[in-house]
Amino acid sequence: MNTRTKNIFSSGHVFLLDGAMGTQLQDRGLKPGETPELWNLSRADDVRAVHEAYFAAGANAVYANTFGANPAKYHGDALLEDVIAAGVRIAREAAKGAGGLVALDVGPTGRLLKPSGDFEFDAAYDAFAAQIRVGAAAGADFVAIETMGDTYELKAAVLAAKENSQLPVLATVALGEDGKLLTGANVECVAALLEGLRVDAIGFNCGFGPDMTLQYARHLAAATSLPIAVKPNAGLPKVVDGRTVFTVGPEEFAKDVAALVDAGASIVGGCCGTTPDHIAALKGLAMRTPPARTPPADRTVVTSGSRAVEIPADDTIIIGERINPTGKKKLRAALSEGDVAYVLREAVSQADAGAHILDVNTGVPGLDEPAVLDSTVQAVQSVTDLPLQIDTSDPKALERALRHYNGKALVNSVNGKEESLSAVLPLVAKYGGAVVALTLDESGIPPTADGRLAIARKIVARGAEYGLKPSDFVVDVLCLAVSADAGSANTILEALWRARTELGCRTCLGVSNISFGLPARPLLNAAFYTMALSRGLSAGIVNPLAADMMTAYKAFRALTARDSACGEWIASYTDWSPAAPSATGGQRTTAASAGTNASSESTLASAIRHGLKSDAAAMAKSSLAGGKAPLDLIDGEIVPALETVGRGFESGRVFLPQLLMAAEAAGAAFEVVRTALPQQEAGSVKGPVVMATVKGDIHDIGKNICRALLENYGFKVIDLGRDVPPEKVVETARRENARLVGLSALMTTTVGAMEETVRLVHKELPCCKVTVGGAVLTEDYAARIGADNYSKDAMGLVRYAEGLFG
Amino acid sequence: MDGFSIDDVQICRYLRLYGRAPGAALEERINAMRKAADAAFRPARTWRRFDDVAVAGGAGSQSLSKHLAGCHAIYLVCATIGAEFDALQRRTAAKSPSDAFVLQAIGAAAIEALMDETELEIRRELADGETLVSRYSPGYGDYPLSEQQRLMALLDAPRRVGVSLTDALVMAPSKSVSAVIGVRAGEST
Repeated sequence: MNTRTKNIFSSGHVFLLDGAMGTQLQDRGLKPGETPELWNLSRADDVRAVHEAYFAAGANAVYANTFGANPAKYHGDALLEDVIAAGVRIAREAAKGAGGLVALDVGPTGRLLKPSGDFEFDAAYDAFAAQIRVGAAAGADFVAIETMGDTYELKAAVLAAKENSQLPVLATVALGEDGKLLTGANVECVAALLEGLRVDAIGFNCGFGPDMTLQYARHLAAATSLPIAVKPNAGLPKVVDGRTVFTVGPEEFAKDVAALVDAGASIVGGCCGTTPDHIAALKGLAMRTPPARTPPADRTVVTSGSRAVEIPADDTIIIGERINPTGKKKLRAALSEGDVAYVLREAVSQADAGAHILDVNTGVPGLDEPAVLDSTVQAVQSVTDLPLQIDTSDPKALERALRHYNGKALVNSVNGKEESLSAVLPLVAKYGGAVVALTLDESGIPPTADGRLAIARKIVARGAEYGLKPSDFVVDVLCLAVSADAGSANTILEALWRARTELGCRTCLGVSNISFGLPARPLLNAAFYTMALSRGLSAGIVNPLAADMMTAYKAFRALTARDSACGEWIASYTDWSPAAPSATGGQRTTAASAGTNASSESTLASAIRHGLKSDAAAMAKSSLAGGKAPLDLIDGEIVPALETVGRGFESGRVFLPQLLMAAEAAGAAFEVVRTALPQQEAGSVKGPVVMATVKGDIHDIGKNICRALLENYGFKVIDLGRDVPPEKVVETARRENARLVGLSALMTTTVGAMEETVRLVHKELPCCKVTVGGAVLTEDYAARIGADNYSKDAMGLVRYAEGLFG
Repeated sequence: MDGFSIDDVQICRYLRLYGRAPGAALEERINAMRKAADAAFRPARTWRRFDDVAVAGGAGSQSLSKHLAGCHAIYLVCATIGAEFDALQRRTAAKSPSDAFVLQAIGAAAIEALMDETELEIRRELADGETLVSRYSPGYGDYPLSEQQRLMALLDAPRRVGVSLTDALVMAPSKSVSAVIGVRAGEST
């Protein structure tokens, strides 16, 4: 480890970095669109002169001209290694005379990572790793990761730096004017992620001038105890006569940077538009000792790519438990089949119901858990901004999922067994995260609170050896059924309170285990949840769709001054009435109260035709309650109503949005009726149809529309999502014995991947038909790429499938 | 940046209503989705003037030359409504394809509105006696999609506005537009 640089980062003096490279090279003739790093080979003297000017101005370190020199931008260019090595060497030459340091400058790849883009996390990691290996070998003193706009890419860069060099890491992000990264993360999110990954200094660069940076530097100082770096632009870019210019002069710049130092920054320099004069103006600052910082209080924060959630000491949050296949047949089937859409619906519905963190467990016997957990975590992250609790007992699965997780995760779990401690704690230390500490060990679960506390203490003490603090642990004192042990609840409540007060740890608990083996479980669960909350439970692992649990949660917060002016309670229950027919708390579910629709007749068929989802569900429910036979309801009302709308669409009287809304309303009614049907009848569905948006294509709206309609016409659909490789389509169709595969592609550039998929399906599965659709396709085109059918719209696909499956 | 306003008529066009009124139930969904979209928009755009029309490239594109005939300068423009809208789109698609369909229509109308607004600002930069021709993008006519790479590099788009290209030359975030706008002599409108 290069301790020299580390010491300088926290030497007690302000550390001076250089100013801009790009705009300096433009002044020397670099053209728009020209690659600045190539000047390391063709115009080395110019590059060196810029470095020398910064050292002469007083900089303690300069960034080598390697910002964009990564394989993702250079596309396998053989020159790349030379470009990076030359960049570091030129900076070293300039540093020699001045006695300064050289940073390997690592900028973004210029590619957007999944899920918004198509670039894989591992590909980004590989690009950074290649750059860092060359830069470190060429003699850089530290790695400066900068201008990052996406936490996910930032994480790839930091991991690459840590795993491919021994150098200290300074990581800075580019904020937008709203104080967020391009992908939506705020300062707290970035700080939690980078502290977890244990970089050596963190901060901001680019974006805007030092004046606007001030408020965010204050946020950062409140969120981290690491040294803070700022490298702002010379103001906001302005366009004058078609050129981008920066207008803040050296003196004004220095005055504003001084305020940043007062706010806690101890490493300062400049980005776009700054010059050696700007850095020279900071010279006075470099003599200063920055004011002492008050380290922020220890908090337990986990993050996603765009949201930080605190597991609070003085309040309570909800961890949604539903993505866990234990005892859930449908979820188990969905995970085995690779039906992503089902899992995603579970994620979104829990988020909508008010969960703050989602548990993700994919432990199904016979499945490749490391692969399934990894892909499920990534898929769930694509549809929710809630942080996840990665729930597995397999360290391999944990590491792979943690590595690919966007943010700082909650790990579930470590326990007091040696095997668990030595496998899990190093992973938490490496990737960052908070970790659930289960109070069990080799001898099982101690019967007393004393015993459980002792294990929790041991886990926390072992954590300290890895640099983990008590606030990194969320203690789970384990919920055992009161039917098996009458004293179970009392023990749990005592242990909860003591974990909070004696250990200073946050707590979590899988509440509903308490009622195992007893009738009316929801009632007991809610009562026990309230008791646990009043004994300091920080995070209940509960079903957020269970109305009784949410009522207990909201009531507790309203009654203990945690719900400001009872605002959440009032918003949730204003329309509550004791006569409400369902047990879903204050929701308005009856057709009468939702009567804002355009129709005067209020029948199930009409609700479906008008696309009124909640009305359709409510009417199906009341029809069943009124004695109507489930199959009569399906054949007599739901199917004909949907058929009417479908025919309307085909004849041009009904348009796509109305068709979709009708299909969803029919689906909601189906769902109600299905639960009333005997098992074998409920299972009588057609299919399966395997659907995918082809490799390389990330536009999947058309495929989603087709899926929704097929499902509501009674087909079982296995939706593989988007950007799906041909092999995966074939593998799934084979395993599920599918007779129909549906593919979508939006762009002319991805029709090639569609053609390849069609060919592979036909080759491997001669009995399987392939139907295709998408904006650029026509009947002719579809025939040319070998597809069996082309559907111009979703109804067309339904008709084709009906013909095929009879 | 000034706000940009999205026209209901445009949303209905992208919903393929072919001039028909949406009706009460759909209208309610449109309003709900507009509200959600408003919270997710993070518009960004960048542009650059070049007094050399050849900068637009085109790899011998006839349609581009024809479009820029008589122009003495061009603006290259890139705009996006941001990656958070894509996240909202994915979230919505997981629970309701109909809402997702409405949302993508709003996104399509929004990026067009943002480009219109950007064009107005560019007009203010023009010299007296200059006017703009309509915008033109790679993929139109025989202007190859691969020229996107050139435009993105010239605009430094990944860094300036967070827009990049996928391997298949799809723009990401999904509601993003790049374009060439020619400048010719004439009265500004």
